[in-house]
Amino acid sequence: MTRTVLWVLAGAVLGGIIHLLVILSLPALANQSLWSGIATLGATNRVVVLPVPGPGEANPLGLDPELTYAACQIDLRKGPGFVRGTLPVAFWSVAVYGPAGTTLYSTTNRDGIGATLDLGIFNAAQTRLLAQQQLDIAQGLLIVEAREDDVMAVVRLAPAHQAVRARYEAALAKLSCGNLPS
Amino acid sequence: MIGVALCVGFGLSWYALSDGRSFGQLRIGPWAAWAAVGDPSPDPYTRAFVARSGTLHLGSSEGIQFVALTDSDGRRLERHCTYRIDGSTPVATFWTLVPVAADGTGIARPGGTGAFNSTHLARNSDGSLELYVSRTISPRNWLEITGDGPFSLVLTLYDSSTFSGVGSADAELPAIIREACQ
Repeated sequence: MTRTVLWVLAGAVLGGIIHLLVILSLPALANQSLWSGIATLGATNRVVVLPVPGPGEANPLGLDPELTYAACQIDLRKGPGFVRGTLPVAFWSVAVYGPAGTTLYSTTNRDGIGATLDLGIFNAAQTRLLAQQQLDIAQGLLIVEAREDDVMAVVRLAPAHQAVRARYEAALAKLSCGNLPS
Repeated sequence: MIGVALCVGFGLSWYALSDGRSFGQLRIGPWAAWAAVGDPSPDPYTRAFVARSGTLHLGSSEGIQFVALTDSDGRRLERHCTYRIDGSTPVATFWTLVPVAADGTGIARPGGTGAFNSTHLARNSDGSLELYVSRTISPRNWLEITGDGPFSLVLTLYDSSTFSGVGSADAELPAIIREACQ
């Protein structure tokens, strides 16, 4: 009896170790699903408007059907990244993700009054150069420090009515992104 | 011993990333959210959840997303029933409510956007909301759903900082009340 209990206890301890290994290794094992899903849309150094699924359609990215989305993937090894453009007067937000889907930075335009997006994304080495004033950047650039070299910027824009969705998607498509000249 | 270890290890991992109420999920009534999902440095459980889901999560500045699988009495949400979403929502620029099937497919009426947007909400005189989710026509605010079987409700609060600080567990979300079933 005692021996059985000891075996079960040993199994539970081993199970705890397996559990920790699963939780800690999952991001490394599954880290390309979101990244590669958007990469297939051709979002490298280019703004792509994400197709928002309607009712009855698969929604692998979990997009909110009330919003419009634009995404751009940037390799910071080639230089600091940027996302810029003008957006309609409505609620919008921007988030920067790492390859595993972790949010590195996010912000909103708050009361829907800001219409200009001018975001610069810098890795740790570029941020150091920035601090040493060895990188020239435009005034008013919103500086984001990323701890990873592969980043993805996603802009969410909320149309006030569905009638203006196409116009808002056209505005998102006019955003530009890529690497700043170094 | 090996059997116990595998059951404990993988069973606990599955539980942590699906239910997860002891592993980092914020629960308010029937609503559950991974509160740290938009943080730049989430805990290991949230990081594993992000990797496993493969969806675009909101950054912490952009808002927070809750999911309800049951009504306020703990009964699974079923499409042949009428539900009343009753109460108030935390301060947010706006919120959306999306009914989805288990695989994430939208189940709202085809032809619409697939969601209910708070900017179109007719509020009660005291500012509270009363929104019906059902297959059959309902009074006041109505989100029409289609099909049969269980479903879940996704409530996304945009530009809400209510859940980012101390005391966020005291915030209120609307109740989900089952009215009648066909």
